Amino acid sequence: MSGYVLEIKNLKKSFDGNGVLDGIDLAMGDGEVVVVVGPSGCGKSTLLRCVNGLETPDSGEILLDGAPISGMDMVQVRRQIGMVFQSYDLFPHMDVLGNLSLGPVKALKRSNDEVKAEAVQALARVGLADKLHALPRQLSGGQKQRVALVRAMLMHPRLLLLDEITAALDPEMVREVLNVVLDLARDGRTMLIVTHEMRFAEAVADRVLFLEGGKVVEEGRPADFFHHPQTPRARAFLDTFEFDTVKKA
Amino acid sequence: MKKLFALILALALVLSLTAGALADAKARSLDEIKESGKLVIGVFSDKKPFGYVDEYGEYQGYDVYFARRLAQDLGVELELVSVDAPNRVEYLTSAKVDIILANFTVTPERAEVVDFALPYMKVALGVVSPDAALITSIEDLRGKKLIVSKGTTAETWFTANEPEVELLKFDTYTETFNALLDGRGDALSTDNTEVLAWAIENPGFTVGIESLGSLDTIAPAVQKGNDTVLAYINEEIEALAAEQFFHADYEATLKDVYGDAVDPDNLVVEGGAIE
Amino acid sequence: MRDLAVLFKGNNPARLLGGLGVTLKLSLISVVLSIALGLVVGVLMTLKNPVVRAVTRLWLETVRIVPQLVLLFLVYFGMAKAFNLQMSGETAAVIVFTFWGAGEMGDLVRGAITSIPVHQRESGAALGLTQGQVWAHVLLPQAARRLVPQAINLTTRMIKTTSLVMLIGVVEVLKVGSQIIDAARYDAPQGAVWVYGAVFLLYFFACWPISLLAKHLEKQWACQEG
Repeated sequence: MSGYVLEIKNLKKSFDGNGVLDGIDLAMGDGEVVVVVGPSGCGKSTLLRCVNGLETPDSGEILLDGAPISGMDMVQVRRQIGMVFQSYDLFPHMDVLGNLSLGPVKALKRSNDEVKAEAVQALARVGLADKLHALPRQLSGGQKQRVALVRAMLMHPRLLLLDEITAALDPEMVREVLNVVLDLARDGRTMLIVTHEMRFAEAVADRVLFLEGGKVVEEGRPADFFHHPQTPRARAFLDTFEFDTVKKA
Repeated sequence: MKKLFALILALALVLSLTAGALADAKARSLDEIKESGKLVIGVFSDKKPFGYVDEYGEYQGYDVYFARRLAQDLGVELELVSVDAPNRVEYLTSAKVDIILANFTVTPERAEVVDFALPYMKVALGVVSPDAALITSIEDLRGKKLIVSKGTTAETWFTANEPEVELLKFDTYTETFNALLDGRGDALSTDNTEVLAWAIENPGFTVGIESLGSLDTIAPAVQKGNDTVLAYINEEIEALAAEQFFHADYEATLKDVYGDAVDPDNLVVEGGAIE
Repeated sequence: MRDLAVLFKGNNPARLLGGLGVTLKLSLISVVLSIALGLVVGVLMTLKNPVVRAVTRLWLETVRIVPQLVLLFLVYFGMAKAFNLQMSGETAAVIVFTFWGAGEMGDLVRGAITSIPVHQRESGAALGLTQGQVWAHVLLPQAARRLVPQAINLTTRMIKTTSLVMLIGVVEVLKVGSQIIDAARYDAPQGAVWVYGAVFLLYFFACWPISLLAKHLEKQWACQEG
């Protein structure tokens, strides 16, 4: 046993001849939060999608708790890996409870009552106790993403993948969603996060991965990466988020 | 792509239809009918007075009356199937019915695909005219205006045989009868069954000539080669002459429509014998 | 006006209703089978498998190109002649209308499914649902909502098209109407207007509740869509 929850070895993936991931290596311990940052199109999302089998890698290996997922039933793999997407991924024809219980009841065969009790509790934790029977269309974007997070957590995954979950939100809603993620991090959840929120990344990450051109260009602790980036590429990337040096003429 | 599919389809259709045309489904023999306890006969269900369904949902009519007797004499139950003019032949070739008794006029073309039994009725042309100037013979008609429908036997027969009769032609039956009512012609000619029934409904008009021109016969039909059933029908028709069965049939089903004035012998055939 | 009485003569009202019963029985059986089969066919149509695609495509083109009457004759008379396979007119009707309905329905299902955003499928998969569960709980329920208006349209079309079955010996409402008109052709020559009027009303009252139901469902589901 390697002791890692997730191990990625020399992962490569290309679409129509364009290399998107070009040899990614990553190992995550239990309870570790890794944030992946990088410019658009650097392969961040593809990396996450490869991990839960929405994309099939061209080569390389992905191991979950030491076992290569290529040899496993993807449905079983996904039951251990939660994923939340950018937006719109609640099921519009079900109320919040329906959304929350579908996975635990149908995939994990848990009892309805048990799941409902847990769902009520979990919703209360994210401040949505009164939304149990609301329909997705009745929720704000931020509320929807909180429900989506709860939905993923109710599967009790070994690993949670978050793919730019605040990217489609209005700014005032970003905070309420990220607070939930911070909460999960404090609970010791193992998470692999793709985000553009640098402040949030710094706050939540144990380790930051800077991806560009399908390669890991820099990797380090958040304090080091955000304040003393080692590579010019990382420095240039981080500069795009700073306005201090730019003044209106 | 779409065209290709259409082509394949057309081919498949033609193939299945030819396959169907090649062989008839095996019709039931007389023994098989007896064994099953049921005789299946195709009749019209909306062609009064030959085959129709009355307001109590019962089949009635000249054809149905005979159908009942055929089943009765065979000692089996009768099942009537509603057929329509265009698919009468199909019902026989696909063995859906044992016999067709649906005012089926005998023609050489039809005789190639089905076997006709002896006739039990005959149709000729009839001429209807106003009582005030009733036309009772072909001589009366010469030099007068006769109303006919285009494409009917009446048009063909008068054109070929009575050039001295002036023809006034219309497209539909309704137009021709209206023309007679309006006095646009001296008389009207079409199938005698039609004019006889019409005259009953229109007082002041009478069928002065009940039977004229070439005689068409109406006969039961069975699937080609179904000899046992054909023989049974022919024996029945011949035997029933003794009791003047078809005259009784006429009394029961046609008399109401054609009234007392019509001579049944102009329509009914007994024993399959045409004089 | 006098000829209106023909409608109420003898058992005529009951006969017309009985004819409507035959019409509705045939259409409802066919519709239910079409929907059930159409769901399967529709899902198959979304697959990339070229053989499945070709077969379903051929099916769809067949039911679109070949008139229903030809199909009825092929099944009722053709099967008897080609394979000595005898069946009742009603059975042939259900087979043909289901064959037609399932093809059309399949295409509607395919359209409804492909209009569902791809991340709905991915969200379901990410929850660890099997492919079958994703279909059953995520995709088909949403497809059904998009499907209802068109499915209702197909249903009412099917009810009306069943009048063709009179040509394979099945006596349905329109045929009963034509029998009543003909049986009264000498007593009530203007009866046709009243009989066809009555048949029109019967069709209307058969199809109207279905349209109402469709509107109701559409409204209800419209406010659920996010």
